[in-house]
Amino acid sequence: MSEKKIHEDQKYIDGLFKNNSFVIQAIYDKFAPKVINYIKQNSGDSDKAQDVIQDTLITIYNQASQNKLQLTCPFDAYFFLLCKRKWLNELKKSSNKEVTINEDVLSKGDEAQELAFETSVFGEKQALFTEMFQKLGTACKDLLTATFKIKSMEEVAKSLGVTYAYARKKKSLCIGKLTELVRESPKFNQLNN
Amino acid sequence: MEDQNYILFEAYLSKELSQDGIIAFESRLKNEPDFNQAFNTYKELSSFLEHKFEDEAASTAFQNNLKTISKTYFEKEETTKKVVRFKPWQYAIAASVVLLIGIFTFNNFSNPTFNDYNNYETISLISRGGQDELLEIAENAFNNKNFAEAEAAFSELLNKDDSNKELQLYRGIALLELDKFDEADNLLGKLSNSPSVYKNKAIWYLALSKLKQKDHTACLKILKTIPEGADDYEQAQQLINKLN
Repeated sequence: MSEKKIHEDQKYIDGLFKNNSFVIQAIYDKFAPKVINYIKQNSGDSDKAQDVIQDTLITIYNQASQNKLQLTCPFDAYFFLLCKRKWLNELKKSSNKEVTINEDVLSKGDEAQELAFETSVFGEKQALFTEMFQKLGTACKDLLTATFKIKSMEEVAKSLGVTYAYARKKKSLCIGKLTELVRESPKFNQLNN
Repeated sequence: MEDQNYILFEAYLSKELSQDGIIAFESRLKNEPDFNQAFNTYKELSSFLEHKFEDEAASTAFQNNLKTISKTYFEKEETTKKVVRFKPWQYAIAASVVLLIGIFTFNNFSNPTFNDYNNYETISLISRGGQDELLEIAENAFNNKNFAEAEAAFSELLNKDDSNKELQLYRGIALLELDKFDEADNLLGKLSNSPSVYKNKAIWYLALSKLKQKDHTACLKILKTIPEGADDYEQAQQLINKLN
């Protein structure tokens, strides 16, 4: 990825990551109408479009802050593909019907398709991880929350009234438990294949 | 996966393993697919949790900001929908109409045309008690702006008496009205070069002929030869100003 040329539209990714209101506004003004039209033409409405766009931008934000997302294609194509994919998934969920994905837009650029796919998998993993985190026991949840909020393990141990060694071990085992929950879920195997 | 492995993952990620430990660990990553997959998931989850809790404040700020912008955008979208929206071609039509009105008024105010000046005074050719029928036809036709008939009558009259400069002038005007510019210019040109009371009138109409032919340079040149004191001097000066 690093040897590929970064597209000038990277400015939108950076702007989102920096929570720059002007950039966010510009994204809505420039790129939202196409998505709204698409969703309205495919059994959706303005409210659904609003949700899809918002969720997509949050996913991009998350990926940018974790993975240093690098855009190698125009934002327009990337963003539209992401929103479209998200909407088709919504339709599948709600109707239980087989939705045929019209791949015409996907063929526009392999680069955009590839990137959108990566981001979309990233987003679904985030959702899965969040869901699985909630399934952990209270002790693990509290420990992990404390661990990542308070950076020093000594502090964490102190605040939880346990020894440092125990806190460290517990952290590994809690993430281990989470790893197991994730790996056991059918969804994760779908995403990883 | 054994608990021991997760403790090992954590130690590896926080760079707490010895050199030998690292080598052994990386060799297992290569050779044990299940170990490898579990480690990658563990790493991914660590990164997820780190982001989830560490960047929680920034992330919440972003989401709140995003929601505000999104809400405003979609409220605007809803209201603009209720307003009758012009399609691009409707804008094009509106723009063309404005443009046409603009051109029309612009022309009227700033671009002088022949039609601004062709209001002739009624001519009177028949002398009291005169019996010339053809002269009467010419006069009536000219005054009624029937220039084709007038021109024919003047032409016939001039055949009988080609030295009548008054008739030459009116025939010149009639020809000008009929867009017979060559004949008109020829006749008015001759008239404007010979001394007579109609000389300056002839110059004026010659200038108007050029105006009607949209030859503004020639028109200006001719207008400037109209001497002060001529009947049409004032009008000529105004036209010069408009053309400049």
